[in-house]
Amino acid sequence: MSGLFRRHFLILPAAALLFLFVMLPYVNVLVMSLRAPSDSTPYGEGFSAGGYVKLFSDPYYFEALGQTLWLGVLTAFVCFLLGLPIALHISQASRRWRGLLYGIVLSPLLVGIVVRSYGWTILLGNTGVINATLRNLGLIERPLPLMYNSFGIVVALAHVFLPFMVLPVLGALQGLDPAVGSAARSLGASRFTVFRRITLPLAMPGIQSGAILVFVLAVSSYVTPALVGGMRVKTMTVMVVDALIDQFQWPFGSALALSLAVSAGVIVLVFARLTRMKWK
Amino acid sequence: MRLASALLGLFRLLVYVFLLAPIVVVVLASLNAGNFLTFPPQGLSLRWFFTFLENEVFLRAIGFSVVLGLAATAASLVIGTMAALYYVRHAKRRAESVRIAILMPLILPEILTAIALLFFFYEVGVGTEYYIALFTGHVLITLPFVFLNVVTSLQGMDEMCELAARSLGAKRFTAFRRITLPLAKPGMINGALFAFIISFDTFGISYMLKGTGSAPLPIQLFDYLRFNFTPEAAAVSTVSIILTLAAVILADRFFGLKVQRF
Repeated sequence: MSGLFRRHFLILPAAALLFLFVMLPYVNVLVMSLRAPSDSTPYGEGFSAGGYVKLFSDPYYFEALGQTLWLGVLTAFVCFLLGLPIALHISQASRRWRGLLYGIVLSPLLVGIVVRSYGWTILLGNTGVINATLRNLGLIERPLPLMYNSFGIVVALAHVFLPFMVLPVLGALQGLDPAVGSAARSLGASRFTVFRRITLPLAMPGIQSGAILVFVLAVSSYVTPALVGGMRVKTMTVMVVDALIDQFQWPFGSALALSLAVSAGVIVLVFARLTRMKWK
Repeated sequence: MRLASALLGLFRLLVYVFLLAPIVVVVLASLNAGNFLTFPPQGLSLRWFFTFLENEVFLRAIGFSVVLGLAATAASLVIGTMAALYYVRHAKRRAESVRIAILMPLILPEILTAIALLFFFYEVGVGTEYYIALFTGHVLITLPFVFLNVVTSLQGMDEMCELAARSLGAKRFTAFRRITLPLAKPGMINGALFAFIISFDTFGISYMLKGTGSAPLPIQLFDYLRFNFTPEAAAVSTVSIILTLAAVILADRFFGLKVQRF
């Protein structure tokens, strides 16, 4: 017994923490989403599936779910487009430059998500930096609608989560020996062929985990849609917080949150299955 | 071919600008002398920093965030390092499930974890009192970062080192203190730094679990930003950027950070 304890005591605190404060609360949310609603208290007595019925029968909520997932997919794709060249660039940069470039990529992480989203509102607003500059240059008369719409949200989300794409891809590229590329080139492969046949397959595990991370983070983000979308674009997280904090409807809020988590999980699984089949 | 690589270079440059732009803009906006966030700025001034220094709400929020961050970091440093040692040494066949379990708070949507914790603490009768819920939430979301960093620095370690020390007569604890701990140290420092920054910046957990008393800085800032458009928020943001940078630079000075990879 004491041998068993000695071997396993190292994991005990973490196991207790995760069991008490992740496992049990998640089971509790599941139960909560099936409780009966109530007007005076957060939830009533007895059980009902009313929350889920409301979500799937009311196009307002159902569309918000679709829109949120779509924004997540778009953000992951934009991060992939912007992140891959950057990761390649850093992995090939000389030692001196690498530190600096690495710092630039990590810099958004060092600045809180509220501050970053706020920075985008300064840039994208109707009287913001971009619109003011364009107007002063005489290129536009009326401000371009950059904020309070899906465009602004995706731009800001892509910025906020880009490091989560670049870092895993960089990690995956660590194993890339520059000599392999040179060898392929000397054997007559074009630059593009080297990229397609050597670099991309090596980077693929990183791209895969980066895309999943960015998607999950984007779908569950609240600050950026709230500040940059200005509550005018209804995303699921905004509605969940609304249902829980402002309307005090715990069962319905839980049903919304769980539906978002489950549908995001399904998309992640499908994505993982698809990319693995193709690239292994 | 020349054109293609020039275009690629330009594209990369634009991405780097894209990464830095919002941060630079916030810092510049904090130096605006005018009453509103306008562009171009109406002259340079530090007046909004002085306004901020007189604003007790923000100062208290910063203090609260620092204390909360230190407490959560200390707890997850101990728990995470123990778990990392277990993962590298003893987990064996269970290693993969241990890893996934500890990364769970990172994989699960933060806002959902926050909601789950909120309900849970209400159901057990604690609610958001005494900041217990807030502290627990912060430990949970910082734990994966300590774990990942310590595992990285332990993974190259040869278990034979500790065995050799013990065969030469070192007690179990001495071997741990003199061999294992120094090997784990870089990971622990990096992990602690990550944990502090994550705790300092996290939003969802704090927003849901903050209760009625003091609120961490991001929450205070968010509430302010929704209804105010003065450059004071930019000044507060700039101070928070400087604080984080200072933490990184100090840690680098004293401990020599290694660039870590995921």
